[in-house]
Amino acid sequence: MSGEMMAVDYYIPLIMFLIVGALVPIGALAAVKIISPQKSTLQKRSTYEGGLRPIREAIIQYNVQYYLFAIAFVIFDVEVLFLYPWIYVYASDAIPAVGGVSIAITGMLIFIVVLLIGLLYDIKKEALRWV
Amino acid sequence: MVLSAITEFAAQEPKIYGLVIGLVAAAILASIINVVAMLLVWLERKVMGDFQARYGPNRVGGRWGVLQLGADAVKLFTKEDVIPRGADKPVYVWAPIVAVATTMLVAGALPFGAVIIDGKEIPLVVANMDISAFYIEAALSIMAISAFMAGWSSNNKYSMLGAFRGIARMIAYEVPMGICVISVAVMAHSLNVVEIVQAQSVWFAIAQPLGFVIFAIALITDLGRMPFDQTEAEEEIIAGYNTEYSGIRFGLLYFQEYIVMLLGSILLVHLYLGGWNGPVIPVISFISPMIWFFMKLVIVLVALIWVRVSLPRFRIDQVTDLGWKILLPLSMVNLAWAVVVGLYFA
Repeated sequence: MSGEMMAVDYYIPLIMFLIVGALVPIGALAAVKIISPQKSTLQKRSTYEGGLRPIREAIIQYNVQYYLFAIAFVIFDVEVLFLYPWIYVYASDAIPAVGGVSIAITGMLIFIVVLLIGLLYDIKKEALRWV
Repeated sequence: MVLSAITEFAAQEPKIYGLVIGLVAAAILASIINVVAMLLVWLERKVMGDFQARYGPNRVGGRWGVLQLGADAVKLFTKEDVIPRGADKPVYVWAPIVAVATTMLVAGALPFGAVIIDGKEIPLVVANMDISAFYIEAALSIMAISAFMAGWSSNNKYSMLGAFRGIARMIAYEVPMGICVISVAVMAHSLNVVEIVQAQSVWFAIAQPLGFVIFAIALITDLGRMPFDQTEAEEEIIAGYNTEYSGIRFGLLYFQEYIVMLLGSILLVHLYLGGWNGPVIPVISFISPMIWFFMKLVIVLVALIWVRVSLPRFRIDQVTDLGWKILLPLSMVNLAWAVVVGLYFA
């Protein structure tokens, strides 16, 4: 490998960062294992619940309204993903223009307006209401 | 001499260079960030004390209480490590590790100022990627996942509520935040943070004030700070996602919040406040970009603390409403503004 830096090469230092970043808390946890007292009792390890004994499991199914947020999020996040590459082309002369405005801009405008209508529909139907 | 030899080696063996520079830089940055984050905890307690007309830490380490954090660290390290018996153990153990490790992923692509050598500006960044703004935003959002891991695995009702709130809050503000980053990139014609900083002959905070406000709100939400700290809201849900955490595990989660606060503030400075740009100071021109960068950073950090002590916490439904119904359409308006300005006035 010689010459130009390839895109992948930028991620090698980042992997090292991830490893070092994981070693810091792992080191701290290992140090605690050595220096802190270990006298575990059943009472000490019980789940906190305002002084009472916990009733049932806490890992539950959540209200369905919650998932509507997630669906709306996926739609808009994909829209944002489309916008990222668009940054590099919107001002380019290579893209034909209609009526003095580049197709890249009119196209994205239509795309965003369609999604905004969707958002308005969501709001009107109270899909984005926290319950 | 040495510098040119290093650049030559980097060009010939980019993979080995990447490994070595990554390891060295990661070790140095990890220690610097940890120390600065400690100072930040101290700064926040001290500044909050001043805002609330009380002393703040003032016992350990003289009048200013500078050693308070050292004392806290000793306490956290010597405290017994308790794992609640209802917890999902692997996820519970990994949550703080994931939280801290992902903050380092952000640090790898974020420039920490610049120095001027021979009249040339050299940004201090490890991975100077073409898409670093996009990458940083993506890495910042992993934070919500570690918070969810912590809350879900604790098997505590309050933690669970905090975890669900955290995700709802994150997804409500991720989209406006992303569109703000895009608006900035549209004006700078680049997604590289270094190039975004260099493109700011006029600060983007002035060129697109609306975007600045939206990004600042979204950032505070992403950082989970007052008035948007519904994930841990002490008065409502005990301590939210970290209720079941104690000792060093709690310490790591708590510490991570401050590391992310530091990194998020740096991102804000780079995207909207001109990064290290500023007039060159004559005698010490070598580090004059650093001086500007740190001045802006400290102002942003104190402003974040100011917001925290000034505003009460919002309800969770108000938070999601603000994100979806107000900030999202407004960020679209800001994008249109950025395109118009970027095309006709740049």
